[in-house]
Amino acid sequence: MKPPYDTPSAPGPNTPSAQPAVHRPSGAAGVLSAVPGVLLGVLLLLVCTALPAFWVQRAGARMRALEAAPSAPPAVATAQAANADYCTPELKAVLRRVLQSCGLLEGGGGVRGCQPADARQVASLAGADFNALFLPMAERAGVVQFDRDSAALDASDDALIDRVFADQQGASYFFVVARSSPEGSVQHNRQLSEARASAVLEHLRQRYNDPDLDREVGLLWLGEEFAQLDEQFCAWQRSGEAGACRTQELNRSAFVTWIDCQL
Amino acid sequence: MIRIAAVATVVIALAGLFFASYATLDFAEHLDRQVHGIHCSFLPGVQEATAESSDCQVTLMSRYSSVLRTQVWGGIPISLPGMALFGFLASWGIWLVWTGGYHRRALARFTLLAWTVPALTSAFMGYLAWVELDAACKLCIGIYASSFLGLAAAAWMALRAEVPATSLRPVQLAPPIAFVFLLLPIGGYVAAMPSYAAYEAGCGPLPAPEDRYGVFVPLNAPAAGGAAGREAVEVLDPLCPSCRGLEGRLAASGLDAELQRSALLFPLDDACNWMVTSAMHPGACAVSEAMLCEPEQARAILDWAFEHQSAIMQAERATAGAAARMVTELFPAVRGCVGSARARTRLHRGLRWAVANQLPVLTPQLFVDGQKVCAEDTDLGLEYTLTRMLQSPPRGERVASPNTEPAP
Repeated sequence: MKPPYDTPSAPGPNTPSAQPAVHRPSGAAGVLSAVPGVLLGVLLLLVCTALPAFWVQRAGARMRALEAAPSAPPAVATAQAANADYCTPELKAVLRRVLQSCGLLEGGGGVRGCQPADARQVASLAGADFNALFLPMAERAGVVQFDRDSAALDASDDALIDRVFADQQGASYFFVVARSSPEGSVQHNRQLSEARASAVLEHLRQRYNDPDLDREVGLLWLGEEFAQLDEQFCAWQRSGEAGACRTQELNRSAFVTWIDCQL
Repeated sequence: MIRIAAVATVVIALAGLFFASYATLDFAEHLDRQVHGIHCSFLPGVQEATAESSDCQVTLMSRYSSVLRTQVWGGIPISLPGMALFGFLASWGIWLVWTGGYHRRALARFTLLAWTVPALTSAFMGYLAWVELDAACKLCIGIYASSFLGLAAAAWMALRAEVPATSLRPVQLAPPIAFVFLLLPIGGYVAAMPSYAAYEAGCGPLPAPEDRYGVFVPLNAPAAGGAAGREAVEVLDPLCPSCRGLEGRLAASGLDAELQRSALLFPLDDACNWMVTSAMHPGACAVSEAMLCEPEQARAILDWAFEHQSAIMQAERATAGAAARMVTELFPAVRGCVGSARARTRLHRGLRWAVANQLPVLTPQLFVDGQKVCAEDTDLGLEYTLTRMLQSPPRGERVASPNTEPAP
């Protein structure tokens, strides 16, 4: 097909005679000869218009398909409280029973605490087995040692409680398990261990203005009757004199720890 | 020779169209709000799209990749008018070659003028990519190269064309045709867009949005003139590159000025975060603690951390505690606080805020007025979604209580 303009054939530049002999074809021939070029242009315009619109429509269809699809489980984990390896089903069952009985779970309305009889009953465990539940918490727990027949916290007790309490991490519950050594009457020791547990709670209330405290702190006072600590707990972080770790001294105490279990 | 230059403009325009088409395709793929691979290659049709992080991804996700972002979800990709322009230039070139019009001085000069548009645009976009984004996107380089080569060929043609024009009609017709070339693809693109109305209100409320422990750190000063912006919470990790990206996009959009922003620090580092099993961003705990220790310097600490993310993480990987040393050296006010029980407690309380609100373990997350901005809308769709969320009434005004109705 002959183009509507001639191609240049002049040999030299810059002279009028050297200008290419270009002339415009006239009439229908000129119009017709331009048609293929115009058609190619229209084709390109269609491509530039249709392709992006098609891609967008395809993306829209994918989006609608995703909306309509049954929701798949989320690919990303949801933030949740810590659940340490030591949280065996057995431990959780015991903790749940203790916490329910102590008023912390199921909207119990704040700290109530468990008395020795309650603890023994709900734990459904022998004292040694009950203590064994807490052995995996050796790194997190502390034993606050009180003076004989006293529920007063001294500076080292405060420091230990603060240190343990500050390291909550992802734990949901803070246990205070207070005891008494066997000297004195059972009734007196019950009251003494309750006073020790309450002293720890009072310290936490005064030291931390924590609105969640009543939902987090569980108190158990065991008196001298249940789950006395043996000397293996001497290796744990304790307040008081380092050398004073006979079983009497060890049980004039409040055992404090965060529990890294989801219940 | 001049004919070769004319043919060259056609070939180069088609090459530009090819690269711009792939850039537009990559952009359009993301309109389903999902993550997709990107053709980051000089041979996009030959090499598969890849989901790996690349300079092309940085460029595509940047604020410079599209315009009218508040009006259209993701905006109109800048490559779309590029595609249209190359399409026009190719058509124009074909017509010139077909008709021999390249000899005409006026037509050749118009060709040169037309090619200055992609060339100037490429120069500007190249500058932005190089200086602002520090990213060399291969598809973009293909477009830039096409633009400059096309300009060179057109210049050659314009210099050699010596035949005076007998009619200026083609030059007069070309701009409206170019306009049609721009208008139709953009119109078709917008018309084909799906509706994003379902996501304009966000992705649900926070169940427990109150900051009862004061663990949010302020990210911007109150707006000038006392006008309070809408409350926004960003769940972020100071060493997370995506968080830096979100901050950059927020700042670039200008919408950050309409928000009263706070950060909830969520370091993806198992040194302090029990929800992750490894240190995805080692050192993030120390930097987060520093921000909590000195909330007034939190913005400065965050800016520093964003700027030196790689160096901080590398140092912490090499030597445990390096991040804490770095931040305390630069911000002496946090010395004695970073690593303390007090700082760790605050950090943990922040993490427990995330637990209470059942947040996914990922960063960044953005909440405006207690409503979550859908994660899928925090990149290309950020301006569109955020603008609409900001246009909705504030939380307290959404439901008018019957008791507040004025008495008749």
